[in-house]
Amino acid sequence: MTGAAARLRLATAGVALLGAADAAYLTVVHYAHVAPICSTGGCETVQHSRYAELHGVPVAVLGLAAYAVVLATVAVRGVPAAALGALVALVGTAFSGYLLWAQLARIHAICQWCVANDAIVAVLAVLCVARLLAEP
Amino acid sequence: MLPHVQRTRLLIVGGVVLAAALVAGLVIAFATGSSDSASSGTTTAAAAPAAPGGTTGQTSPARPAGPVSVLAGVPQHGDTLGNEDAPATMYVYEDPQCPYCKEWALGTFPTVVRQYVKTGRLKLVYQGVEIIGPNSVPALRALYAAGNQNKLWNLAEELYTRQGEENSGWVTDDVLRSAATAVGANAAKVLADAKGAAITTRLKQAESAFEAAGAPGTPTFVVQRAVSAPVELQLGGLDPASFEAALNPALQ
Repeated sequence: MTGAAARLRLATAGVALLGAADAAYLTVVHYAHVAPICSTGGCETVQHSRYAELHGVPVAVLGLAAYAVVLATVAVRGVPAAALGALVALVGTAFSGYLLWAQLARIHAICQWCVANDAIVAVLAVLCVARLLAEP
Repeated sequence: MLPHVQRTRLLIVGGVVLAAALVAGLVIAFATGSSDSASSGTTTAAAAPAAPGGTTGQTSPARPAGPVSVLAGVPQHGDTLGNEDAPATMYVYEDPQCPYCKEWALGTFPTVVRQYVKTGRLKLVYQGVEIIGPNSVPALRALYAAGNQNKLWNLAEELYTRQGEENSGWVTDDVLRSAATAVGANAAKVLADAKGAAITTRLKQAESAFEAAGAPGTPTFVVQRAVSAPVELQLGGLDPASFEAALNPALQ
C-alpha cells in the first residue's frame, strides 16, 4: 500500500505540475494583456468575460494557487495531507465544472486552455482520492 | 489495511467529498453572485493597459486621429450615433474604465463607423454600465450628460485616450472638464447635467438592459434588426476582421 501511495503521489505531482503550467500561462496572458494562443477561437472572449475573475482575482491565479497547494500536500506523507489535497482537487473540479458551464451556456465561447484545465483537475481529483485511500 | 482501518478511511473520504461539495457550493454561489451583479465591481479584464503614448489621466491631451475624426459628419442624437432610420441597431455595452472597451473603441470602432454607420446600415446606441468599479460612475454620468449636447460618442473616445488604471481615481472633474472641452462640448453644462436625476434614470436603464441581455461582460454588442430578436455578437476577437465576421451575418 505504501508503494501504491508513493506512486500516486508521484503521479499527482506530475498532473499538478501540468495544471500549474496551464494556469501560469493564463495568468501571464491575463496580466500581460495579450491574446492567448487559441485554436478554438473563443479564448479571448472567455478571458474578457466577467467569469475570468472572481471578485477581482483572476480565476487563473486561483487555479495556480490550488495546484500549488496540491503540490505541497504531495510532499508530505500521511492521511491529513492526502485529505487536504483531495479536498482542494475536488473543489477545483467542481468550480471548473461551473466555469465550463459558463463557457457553454453564458459566454458561448470555448477556451482550450480552460477545457484542458478542466480535464487536468478532474484527473487530479481522481488521483488525490485514490491516494487518500492508499496512504498507510 | 485492516477492515476497521478501511472503514475509517472510507469515512474520511466521504467526509472530504462532503466538505468539498460544501466548499464548492459556497465558492460557486459567491462566483454567481459576483458575475450576476453588473455593479459589483467585478471586472472582465485585468488592470488597464497604458493609454496611447504611455500617458494616463488628465496628463494625456494627445488624441489619436482615427477614432475621433471618424465621427466628423456622423449624426448624433443623445446616446445614438448614426442615421435614426438605419435598418439595424447595435447596442454597445461599455465601461469607460474597461481596457478591452478601449481596445475596441480606439482600434475597431473607426472601422465600424466608416463601413456600417456612415453607409446607413447601422446605428449605435451607447449603453454605459459600471462594471469595473465606482470610478466608472462619474465618467458614465458625464457621458450621458454630453449626450444632451450630442457629444456622447466624442467624449467616450476622448476619455479612452485618457484612460488610467482601473479604480485609480483617474476620473476626476478636471479630467472630465478637460475632455469635454477637447471635444467641443460645454464642459460646465456637462458637469452640471451629470448630477441630474435624468442621468441616474438612464444609467439604471442601461444596467437593466445589460442584465436582461445576459451580457457576460464589457464590451458586449447586441444587434437588433427591425423585426428580429436582438442577437449578441459572438466575437472571436476585438480586431476589425473578427468584428466584421460577426457583424455581417447579424445584418443579413
